[in-house]
Amino acid sequence: MLRLIGQRLIALIPLLFIVSVLTFSFTALLPGDPVDLIIGDEGTAEQYEMVRERLGMNVPIVSRYFQWLGRAAQGDLGTSFFNSVPVMDAVMQRLPVTISLTAVSALIAVIVGMAAGIAAALNPRSWIDRLATFGATLGQAIPNFWFGILLVAFFAVSLRWFPATGFTPLSTSPWEWLRSVTLPALALGLSSSAAIARQVRSAMVGVLQQDYIRAARAQGLSRRRVVFKHVLKNALIPVVAVLSFQITILLGGALIVEQVFAINGLGSLAISAVRQQDIPMIQGIVLVSVFIVVAIQLTTDMIYGFLNPKARPS
Amino acid sequence: MKTATKNPYNASMLAVAIPASTILILLVIVSIGAEWIAPYDPLKQSLREALQSPSSVHWLGTDNLGRDVLSRLIFGGRIALISSLEATLIAVVLGVPLGLFIGYRGGWWDWAVMRLVEAVVSIPGIMVAIVIIAILGPGLHRAMIALGILYSTAFLRLARSVVLAEREEVYVKAARVIGASSNRILLRHILPNIAPPLIIQVTLTIGAVLLAEAGLSFVGLGVQPPGASWGTMLNTAATYMALNAFLAVPPGLAIVITVLSVNLLGDVLRDSVGRGIAVSVKPTTPTAKFAESTTTTSQPNADDILHIQGLQVVVNSKDGSEFPVITDLSFSIKKGETLGLVGESGCGKTITGLSILGLIGTGGRVTHGTINLNNTELTAFSTQQMEQIRGDEVAMVFQDPTTSLNPAFTVGDQIAEVLRVKQGMTKKQAWARAVELIDRVGITRPAERAKAYPHELSGGMAQRIAIARALSCNPKLLIADEPTTALDVTIQQEILDLFRDLQDEFGMAILFVTHDLAVAADICDRVCVMYAGELVEMANIDELFATPRHPYTAGLLSAMPHASDRKPPLPTIKGTVPVPKLWPTGCRFSERCDYSQKACEQLITLTGTTSQVRCIRANEINLGASI
Repeated sequence: MLRLIGQRLIALIPLLFIVSVLTFSFTALLPGDPVDLIIGDEGTAEQYEMVRERLGMNVPIVSRYFQWLGRAAQGDLGTSFFNSVPVMDAVMQRLPVTISLTAVSALIAVIVGMAAGIAAALNPRSWIDRLATFGATLGQAIPNFWFGILLVAFFAVSLRWFPATGFTPLSTSPWEWLRSVTLPALALGLSSSAAIARQVRSAMVGVLQQDYIRAARAQGLSRRRVVFKHVLKNALIPVVAVLSFQITILLGGALIVEQVFAINGLGSLAISAVRQQDIPMIQGIVLVSVFIVVAIQLTTDMIYGFLNPKARPS
Repeated sequence: MKTATKNPYNASMLAVAIPASTILILLVIVSIGAEWIAPYDPLKQSLREALQSPSSVHWLGTDNLGRDVLSRLIFGGRIALISSLEATLIAVVLGVPLGLFIGYRGGWWDWAVMRLVEAVVSIPGIMVAIVIIAILGPGLHRAMIALGILYSTAFLRLARSVVLAEREEVYVKAARVIGASSNRILLRHILPNIAPPLIIQVTLTIGAVLLAEAGLSFVGLGVQPPGASWGTMLNTAATYMALNAFLAVPPGLAIVITVLSVNLLGDVLRDSVGRGIAVSVKPTTPTAKFAESTTTTSQPNADDILHIQGLQVVVNSKDGSEFPVITDLSFSIKKGETLGLVGESGCGKTITGLSILGLIGTGGRVTHGTINLNNTELTAFSTQQMEQIRGDEVAMVFQDPTTSLNPAFTVGDQIAEVLRVKQGMTKKQAWARAVELIDRVGITRPAERAKAYPHELSGGMAQRIAIARALSCNPKLLIADEPTTALDVTIQQEILDLFRDLQDEFGMAILFVTHDLAVAADICDRVCVMYAGELVEMANIDELFATPRHPYTAGLLSAMPHASDRKPPLPTIKGTVPVPKLWPTGCRFSERCDYSQKACEQLITLTGTTSQVRCIRANEINLGASI
């Protein structure tokens, strides 16, 4: 297993390098001069030079990249053009909110998706199967933010079971955290539940037809045992393979869903950064997101290796 | 018998495709004619009429600025249509040529572009779009360029994979040899192969872009106010939710219905491409005519371990009817005996084995007859009762050892699990016994091999493991379904020897299913020859070889390759086994038989006691020993 982790980590180096180059090159690609953006229309030539110096824009772009990368590696992502707050602080303040939301919705997606997928696969062509398949197709067509609006209208505004907006950190009050995260996580998790249900169903149906399942039954093992041990472990292999992809989608979707619930996560930070052309902030948000995605990929790779002996390096 | 239903695929595909395309065509018409169809100007404000519920004047009510929701919905549809087509077009135009190029060129170009694509894909899609919008600035067309760039990665990978698959194809090589330029090869040979997956990817992308555009407009990065789009309408709805919750309904439903239609159409396209564009399948008339049991009922003898009497098995056909695959099958196996079940593929040998275990599956069932195992009648048993019998009383070894062992567990684990569940052993005991069994079936270094996964073992070794597992609970009957067919010839003999040794030690009876008479001669005491779902001859192995009485048996014997017989060509039986639905009512072999006559068209019964034959001419024709 350690070798697998090592192999994956080495494979990540070129990826992280390219992402960092892409992220850094936003500066060069952005229209207009960031210095003008900071000092405004009324800035003097002296102010201009000063800001240019402060931003380190007098050095060649390649050395600027390495300076930026070196600082980023130490956790310094620069300061916001807009309000001079360190980018790392701003991102770290918002990150737990977005991660909470993404994690809970991923959990919901896995639970709902697996339950629906397994139920459908075990009763092919039954009403359960039809319902699950239809639900999965519908679930993938419903915009997460619209589903969020409906949930708020019904469960928050009408029934008042949940708060309509806002987010309570887990450390403040676990109960209030759960209340504040439930609706947005449901809204966000819907389409991934649907995607996972489809994947689980087709993987299970495929595995159920395998010789080794019939052989296990021929050996007198009960249907329940065969389904939940022999079938599931094999069927989970393709599911885990799509899981990291789904979590990446959830992380992106969280940015939108946060807006419905007025949750101050990475989403509102990113959107205001775009509106203000706050380059360091955008760079920071992208870089941190990529790190999270990479961490998720590594984790799912580990699970994949555990489930699928053929994937382990020998 | 169930009533015949229509072929489920085509009917349901049309049931989906027709409404989905109707909705999309309607959307196109409404979008084009928005100016004439919409009752109001979508931007016209009237604050006195703000936030009204649906009425005869404003069918879907008004928003916070008194604008007509229906009109905004119609113009929003135009935006949705144009923007999704725009982004998809950009994605195709960017992705396909680049994908074709790197796929064709390969090498450094391919490597570099693919790493770039991987990097982009590892960032959440919405975030990539947001970053591109940061560079281009907010606005619908800029947002669509952003989404186009984002989704071009999917088209790039698709085009590249098609090129990689096609460029090795023989005809591409051939075209290069006759001097066609590389551009012509790309265009003439590769593009037609790209078309089907490309169409599917386009539908998927349109659906995804519709959702993404709505999301971006919702957060204010797409369509800018006061422009009407479904996403901006939902933004307004979210703000005024407490005052007029209905505002969220029309744009939301519009998105769902449109995306659903596009996705369903994509699913139908994918399914029909996968099946080679739907063709209607002729419903087959169910054949219900088959022989009732013709043999007299007999009771199992005291020393019979298995006694099957008048067995009939039917399976479901796709049109919902049932047809028999085994009829009037009777035989018995004595304790410690090895009975061969011989015949070509499709004669019902494997189904017979699975019937004994009660594992025919959901598609089939036993309709007549008895299966008596060790004086217990199995056909009436519940699933739970069958689970008790399986493994303990009767076990099975399958044809292909590499697929009959679970790839996700170690082989030792798979044997030990049976011992724990069926024998109630502890984990430790079960593992120790599993290692013993692995040793017993002739595998060296058993403790180490027990920890191996099936893919780490050779076919012969995997079959030994499967045999060890089957014997782990000392069954009285072992069903071996072509256990040597998938193995190398040199390994086959070793496995047969193993069966013999194990039978001496464990004393179980074996039902040995094989199509190979040479194998049967090697290991069986007695042989049942099956043809088209029924028993045609049964005899002791020596007797069968010396004096075959059924023309089919004689045919099988003469088709055996024999080392001393170098005379080519090897005789074969003309024709093939008829599929169960097309069985003749009389002798099922008559169509392939050299001796058939008019009388063979009637129902033929099995005659004889210790040795049996199903042929009316058995006593008059002399088949002799053909080898």
